[in-house]
Amino acid sequence: MKRWTADLKHALAADFVLGTMRGRARRRFEAMAAEDAELSRIRGQWEAFLTPLADRVAPVAPPSRVWKAVEARIAGPRAPKPAGLWSSVAFWRWIGTGFAAASIALLAFTLGNRAPAEPETMLVAVLATPEQVPRIVVEQPRDGMLRLRMVKPWAGMTRNDLELWVIPKEGKPRSLGVVPSDRDGEVRMANMGAMLKDGVAFAISSEPLGGSPTGQPTGKVLCSGAIARGRRA
Amino acid sequence: MLAASALGDRKAFAELYRETSAKLFAVSLRIVRERQLAEEVLQDSFVSIWNHASDYARAKSAPTTWMAAIVRNRSLDVLRRGAHEVEDVDEALASALVDESAAPARDLERAAEEHSIRDCLGELDADQRQSIALAFFHGLSHSEAAQHLRRPLGTVKTHIRRGLARLKDCLARVGVAGPSR
Repeated sequence: MKRWTADLKHALAADFVLGTMRGRARRRFEAMAAEDAELSRIRGQWEAFLTPLADRVAPVAPPSRVWKAVEARIAGPRAPKPAGLWSSVAFWRWIGTGFAAASIALLAFTLGNRAPAEPETMLVAVLATPEQVPRIVVEQPRDGMLRLRMVKPWAGMTRNDLELWVIPKEGKPRSLGVVPSDRDGEVRMANMGAMLKDGVAFAISSEPLGGSPTGQPTGKVLCSGAIARGRRA
Repeated sequence: MLAASALGDRKAFAELYRETSAKLFAVSLRIVRERQLAEEVLQDSFVSIWNHASDYARAKSAPTTWMAAIVRNRSLDVLRRGAHEVEDVDEALASALVDESAAPARDLERAAEEHSIRDCLGELDADQRQSIALAFFHGLSHSEAAQHLRRPLGTVKTHIRRGLARLKDCLARVGVAGPSR
């Protein structure tokens, strides 16, 4: 980390909060603030200074479709977790110890040996950090939906959102949207099939709040994992 | 309400949306200046607020400040505006910055905070204040503000930089959230 004076940090943070800092510079600033607690604190101060002024703007009612879209994106019941190996945190931590290549074989094994009564998953991936610590399990219980199970939640992600990407065999990652950092989540998409076609892996990157402004990952990739497809997929 | 949203209470979240969305939509609209883009910003911001409600407590700011900061930040991120589109900027708002009577005071604490900021803005030169207001309310960049004010870019940059530095000193003095904290 560069050693910056407090004055320089204040100047950058003020520029960021005021909005005169633009484009890539904003994302660089965000990346730096994520690693520099003092810079992050100074940004918080400038937000506290300036943001209350926004209250002066005369309100404009947004059309109802905005709330409908928000509602759809946060929809999905938080289903009670089924008991057993599949949802056991200890199990996933254990996997993490000897993770890398063995995990895919193990997953295939697990998929193949499920009791018939259990709902079949179309695909599954265990997303692990570069240090091979599993963080999230992604499953597709049915068409148009992915379920994300948090193995090890992130704490204190106030300044960034996690964004889920599917990595196709060839070409650029495709965004599957912003997902929670501290609990289980779901992704619903009408065109899920097309999005996942040729997908070989999932990855989660850290993005500015609201998700990547460019449509491609801009922040650090926090975890990733190969997609194992079940019988129906 | 934000606390209830943190627990995943959709009703509370819907209520939060009803209470704050018009203000936040207006904030975004002024910056992005396109309804559709502002709608997208609002949508993304509220999904983000929903996802982050549980760790909001760490942000240590008033909930409205936290939410407005998310919306402003998102608006600035999606901004793809040509410099030609900045003509009908609302001057009244810049002058209203120091107009006592224009202050809504629903929330006592926030009003007090805003009061200090307004007092401090009152200490700035008119040029400094106007440049800062153009950037803050309308999302103008340095060069867009310079074009709007018909001033050289360097001059506007200096106004903003000096204005912000004075603002910081003043706010520290009145103890809003002093930089020494």
